Amino acid sequence: MSVLSQLNVIQVSGLTQRVNTLEGSLTILSDINFSVKSGESVAIVGASGSGKSTLLSLLAGLDVASQGEVHLDGDALSTLDEEARAQLRAEKIGFVFQSFMLVQSLTALENVMLPAELAGDHDAKAQAVELLDKVGLSHRLAHYPSQLSGGEQQRVAIARAFIGSPKILFADEPSANLDSKNGHLIETLLFDLNKQNGTTLVLVTHDEQLAKKCQRIIHIEGGQLEKISEGAAANVG
Amino acid sequence: MWVKLAFKLFSREFRRGELTIIFAAIALAVLTVFSLSAITERISLNIAHKSSDFIASDRRLSSNHAFEPQLLKQASQFGLATAQMLYFDSMLFANDELVLGSVKATTAAYPLRGKITIKDNLASKAYEVETGPKAGSVWLSEGLFYTLKVNVGDTVELGAGNFNVTKVLVKEPDAPFFSLSGNKRVLLNYADIETTQAVQPGSRVFHRLLFAGNEQELSDYYAWLKPQLKSNQNWQGLKDRQSPLGNNLDRAERFLLLAGLFGIMLAAVAMAVSAKRYCERQYDPVAMMKTLGGSRKVIRNIFLLHLSLVTTFSIVAGLAVGFILQTIGADYLATFMGTELPQAGVRPWLLSAFIGLVCALMFSLKPLLDLFDIPPLRVLRRNLGDTLAISRIHIGLSMLTIFVLMWLFSGEIVTTLILFASTLVVIAVLFALSRLLFAAGRKLGLRPGSSWSLAIATLQKRANANAIQLISFALAIKLMLFLVVLKNDIISDWQMQVPADAPNMFIINIAKEEVEPIKQFFNKHNIAHEAFYPVFSGRVDAVNGEEFARRVSKQEGEEKDESAREGVSREPNLTWLTSLPEGNEITEGEWFTDGGTGDDIEVSVFDGWQETLGLKIGDTITLLVNEQPIDAKVTSFRKVDWGSLKPNFVMILSPNMAGKVPVTYFSAAKLHDRDTKGISQLLQRYPTISMIDIKAQIEQAQSIIAQVSLAIGFVLSIVLVSGALVLISQVQASLAERMQEVVILRTLGAKGRLIKLATLYEFMLLGGIAGLVAAIVSDVALLVIQQQLFDISGRLHPYIWLLGPVSGALFVSSIGYFMVANTMRQNTQGLLRKLG
Repeated sequence: MSVLSQLNVIQVSGLTQRVNTLEGSLTILSDINFSVKSGESVAIVGASGSGKSTLLSLLAGLDVASQGEVHLDGDALSTLDEEARAQLRAEKIGFVFQSFMLVQSLTALENVMLPAELAGDHDAKAQAVELLDKVGLSHRLAHYPSQLSGGEQQRVAIARAFIGSPKILFADEPSANLDSKNGHLIETLLFDLNKQNGTTLVLVTHDEQLAKKCQRIIHIEGGQLEKISEGAAANVG
Repeated sequence: MWVKLAFKLFSREFRRGELTIIFAAIALAVLTVFSLSAITERISLNIAHKSSDFIASDRRLSSNHAFEPQLLKQASQFGLATAQMLYFDSMLFANDELVLGSVKATTAAYPLRGKITIKDNLASKAYEVETGPKAGSVWLSEGLFYTLKVNVGDTVELGAGNFNVTKVLVKEPDAPFFSLSGNKRVLLNYADIETTQAVQPGSRVFHRLLFAGNEQELSDYYAWLKPQLKSNQNWQGLKDRQSPLGNNLDRAERFLLLAGLFGIMLAAVAMAVSAKRYCERQYDPVAMMKTLGGSRKVIRNIFLLHLSLVTTFSIVAGLAVGFILQTIGADYLATFMGTELPQAGVRPWLLSAFIGLVCALMFSLKPLLDLFDIPPLRVLRRNLGDTLAISRIHIGLSMLTIFVLMWLFSGEIVTTLILFASTLVVIAVLFALSRLLFAAGRKLGLRPGSSWSLAIATLQKRANANAIQLISFALAIKLMLFLVVLKNDIISDWQMQVPADAPNMFIINIAKEEVEPIKQFFNKHNIAHEAFYPVFSGRVDAVNGEEFARRVSKQEGEEKDESAREGVSREPNLTWLTSLPEGNEITEGEWFTDGGTGDDIEVSVFDGWQETLGLKIGDTITLLVNEQPIDAKVTSFRKVDWGSLKPNFVMILSPNMAGKVPVTYFSAAKLHDRDTKGISQLLQRYPTISMIDIKAQIEQAQSIIAQVSLAIGFVLSIVLVSGALVLISQVQASLAERMQEVVILRTLGAKGRLIKLATLYEFMLLGGIAGLVAAIVSDVALLVIQQQLFDISGRLHPYIWLLGPVSGALFVSSIGYFMVANTMRQNTQGLLRKLG
């Protein structure tokens, strides 16, 4: 592995994803190649059905590609089984989802602690309290998701994403379910925390304005990589 | 670390009510099995104990030969209490009167169960004692006092000995329900047999050994005894005896068994559905945990710990509630019966805990395996892993488990198979029906926007889920209907056996010229009575000219006679009749040709004797009546209900017998206390007639029937509660699934009334269809079960064809309406947040 590729925390080569349907095989992603450097923020944009969420699932090891390879921090995902990929996610990846995906039976604090607890971290609580304080929810620690507003739930999800100091953060339409005010708040929070922690951010969105806040933008169209452009943050980074 | 997380998740899930249904289902299975088996065991122990009175012991060994002393010795070594009895007929003599009495000689331990009822003199009140007369004295039945013209304190000659008459014998616990010799009974001390010199080699005597002890001791002893039993020795328990009680006990036990099986089935249905639902609700958290790096092993450990915790809690809760329930029930029954119920052993505890454990494991196994397999990708593709229909493996595994549980609980493969098969039929019919119905509904094209069209649309949309719901509703309704109807049938059948106006006194030895005056006496005193039957006794001498003794040994014949027909004298009582008596049923052949008025004498024989004597239709039986041979052609075999407490006959001859043999007449009457004086006058006027009081036997039978009926009612109510809980949990489960639709409809501005009415109609349709199918299948299954297991003539019950759908529709729709109305009270935003 070259020095350059070592700097690339994500290396995607020839990535293709096909699914079997009643009408035969359907190609969702076709021969995708790109790389993401450590600490970089990248947006994946495209219209609905373009294949961006599928790309995210393959990058995060949630699914296995039909063809091609994803190297995540040096590990080739195709060589790892489900358990090893889970282990990799536990150690190096954080997630923020459009639908928050909080465990309804756990409080805000417990939801944030969850990844650390699954990884066997004994310091989970202190880290979670600190992160919830950073997202402005120190007064909501014992609240359950159903007692929080949508914006608050997503802030809990962001705090959860940063626990354990992941190397890479995947965010899937993080502000799509929120009103513009809360959306902006969440986006700011996400980028601020990303900067503070030096995390690599991979953001899937159809919102061009949000994408521009990243350093690079990967355009997906019809399952193919259309182009890679620079975002507004390119010069800042 | 995962343990802490698992406990935290468990406590939260429990508090949120996510585990309530699964907890309730296991607890329900445990409490149903526990309370039913404990109550059943306690009642059975009590009934068996009380019923043992009827044979004055728990088991008895009969023979017409003396027993080896070793049998008694060994019984004592097995820890059993024993008593000896000897029956023989002997002449009694006093005041120049001579009469043949039926003597029962007993050792001091007799009776081992029950008590002997005696009177100090003819006019005094009866009371109970625990042992028979002392050596040198005898107790005589009332009839003998009149015949021999003796009083208490007088001396009678019995065989070669003189005995002091010390008491009036009213009743022994093992007195036969009906015996023509019943009025001339003598109770003698066993030690005095020799004094009478009545028992000589070749005498007709019947020996009995009585045993009492716990079931284990009795079965251990029987295991020892069985290999050495001789052909003339007959081992009997209460159930072997052809009596109304034996049959009723059997039926009661079968009913309780069925009720228990149904309880298990209901709880199992609830468990299978709730386990699946719970696991489905965990799909998102599990996908999330996997995404966040949770390994399969950690997730498996977390949920297996959840299962262990919920199983432990629910088993403990089920046992606790079951214990309270059965204690309350047993106390209530005990108060009603005026007795204390013996405590149940460890079996109900072990059985119910084991069944709870099996339920928990087997019904959650497949849903849990599915849960462990949920892919992390579900966090992005929200419907990944969703399965609308329950998998075939889950269905197969659940059915196998239910079958094994039923078999385990009942220990009866035939009953289990019948119930299981009928349940499968319900499932198949309902599945096909629901498919047809939902397909047909689609074509109806109801007006959009109406509650009905919304209800139909919802039913169609959720065809698979509804089919499953329909099946579980129908199963619950079927099981409940089944038990309600069966209970009514069994109890009414019992009540018919001993109707309130059943005769309580048999009048025998009536001379022909006495018939009319006695009839007039009954009419004058408004005493209800049966017909006057001509009675004579005779012995079967030959069949088709071949002497009977050579065909069947006398010993064998007597043994079968003795064991099969407790209430019938050894020399059969014969009569002639023009028509088949009530309660008899021709099993083979025809009733007398031309009303039995032709030249040939015909005979209808009790079917129990068909095999004993090796008879077939057309055979000629030679009867010796007063040493006069009478040839009769066998034209039919009859089933006789010996438990009916009505006059029954082994052989009924055709009416052309009239005038050929000397006869006495026999009748039965229902006497009241007010008739006592008149009856004494009657007995004084006609001293040769004898009265046999069977009031006590009838009262005893009625009391046991009442007791068993009450027990059945109690057990039924437990099963009904279980059934209702299953229906509630089903509606609750389905409503939770409907939440999303309710929220969407609400958000889109649908009025609460529209949604509530749509739910009401939807559940009304589901409940109604389920109830109708349940009623039809119950009725068919009842036909089979009643005939096969309960020996009740099967019949259809049209009222449940209405009761099923109406009660199903009402019950299911009202729960559904109540629950959806409850949901509608929350605002839409609150509902949306709950959906997460």
